[in-house]
Amino acid sequence: MNESSQAPPRLRIAAGLTGALLLVASCASTPPAPIATLQAAEQAILNAERGDAGRYAAAELAAARTKLASANDAVQEEEMIIAKRLGEQSRADAELASARSEAAKAATVNEEMKRGNDALFEETQRNSGASR
Amino acid sequence: MNTTSYFTRYRAKTLIAAAVSLVLAACAAAPLKSTGAADARAKLTVLQSDANLANRAPLAMQEAEAAVVTAEASNTDEEQAVHLAYLADRKVDTARARAETGFAEDQLAKLGEQRESIRLDARTREADIAQSQVATARAEAQVARTDADAARTLAAQQAEELQRQIDELQARPTDRGLVLTLGDVLFRSGMSDLNAGATNSLEKLASFLNHYPDRSAIIEGHTDNVGSDDYNQGLSQRRADSVKSYLMGHGIGSPRLAATGMGESQPLAGNDSATGRQQNRRVEVIIDNPPPAL
Repeated sequence: MNESSQAPPRLRIAAGLTGALLLVASCASTPPAPIATLQAAEQAILNAERGDAGRYAAAELAAARTKLASANDAVQEEEMIIAKRLGEQSRADAELASARSEAAKAATVNEEMKRGNDALFEETQRNSGASR
Repeated sequence: MNTTSYFTRYRAKTLIAAAVSLVLAACAAAPLKSTGAADARAKLTVLQSDANLANRAPLAMQEAEAAVVTAEASNTDEEQAVHLAYLADRKVDTARARAETGFAEDQLAKLGEQRESIRLDARTREADIAQSQVATARAEAQVARTDADAARTLAAQQAEELQRQIDELQARPTDRGLVLTLGDVLFRSGMSDLNAGATNSLEKLASFLNHYPDRSAIIEGHTDNVGSDDYNQGLSQRRADSVKSYLMGHGIGSPRLAATGMGESQPLAGNDSATGRQQNRRVEVIIDNPPPAL
């Protein structure tokens, strides 16, 4: 919101560039919002929600949502670098939420299968034991 | 993480203000190792050396590797470095989760195979049991058949033996049982003592009764009509008793033997001829049939 928080990156970029006037000019004006990054984060969150992350990876999904909201706030404040970082982190969180949901679901399926096998094994042992 | 990066920034500012040269020296020597890139690298190394997981999610693993390399290379901007380390950390975790999913899927396939093998084992075992039951039943039937055969053979042998014994006795089967007629040659005229020649027939009778201990015998004495009724009654009784005594002397218990004098009341033939009278002078032994049939 205020200008002081934006000053250091701009100063740093300006100092880092020796003679590129165009770049200096673009840095002097407000940088564009990281729209693609934010869209990718949003998509990753939707994917995670579809993958039942609310149930299997609630913490990661919550982090992704919080960071996406913060990123949007940063865009409003024209803190584009922070917005981009938050967007990237949000996407990484959401992708982790998806991956952990898949892993948890697979583990649950296996656990059920294993229990089923154990029960079946015991049953067959008991049956053959009884008829012997 | 975000708050941490801000904190780091403020701390850096303080350091710059305090001792610029020191900060510069520190940045040059060990650039931003504390940002977490090293931690991400360590986690990735653990994942890569896990035999069950290392090769399961190649794409996610490559992305994680690339993110860690990027984080490690970043040494200009601490905030950016912290950010890249965070991304690397998340990508390593994501790669681990993807690899675990792949591993779980392989495990699921194995569990499926295991289930099939349990089912197959159970079916095999059931078939084995059924087969062994059939075999047992067959063996039992064979034993039963053999037993029945043996019983039949034994019964046939016993029947044969009985017939042989009956033939030996020269007894004739009647409704009352086996009737054995001992002629008067066993006794001297008017006497009740047994002749020496009588023992052959009586030995066979004793042997028969010893062989079939469930049979008992009625011994009946008969005479012709020569002499008084009383005399003949007494004589027939004495002769019957004499036979009974003989049998008792050869091991037959007295409860199995009944001796009765019938006198001249039941002639077999006419008393008007010598031949008829001889037929009438006799002792009959009736051996009763045992209650259960063979």
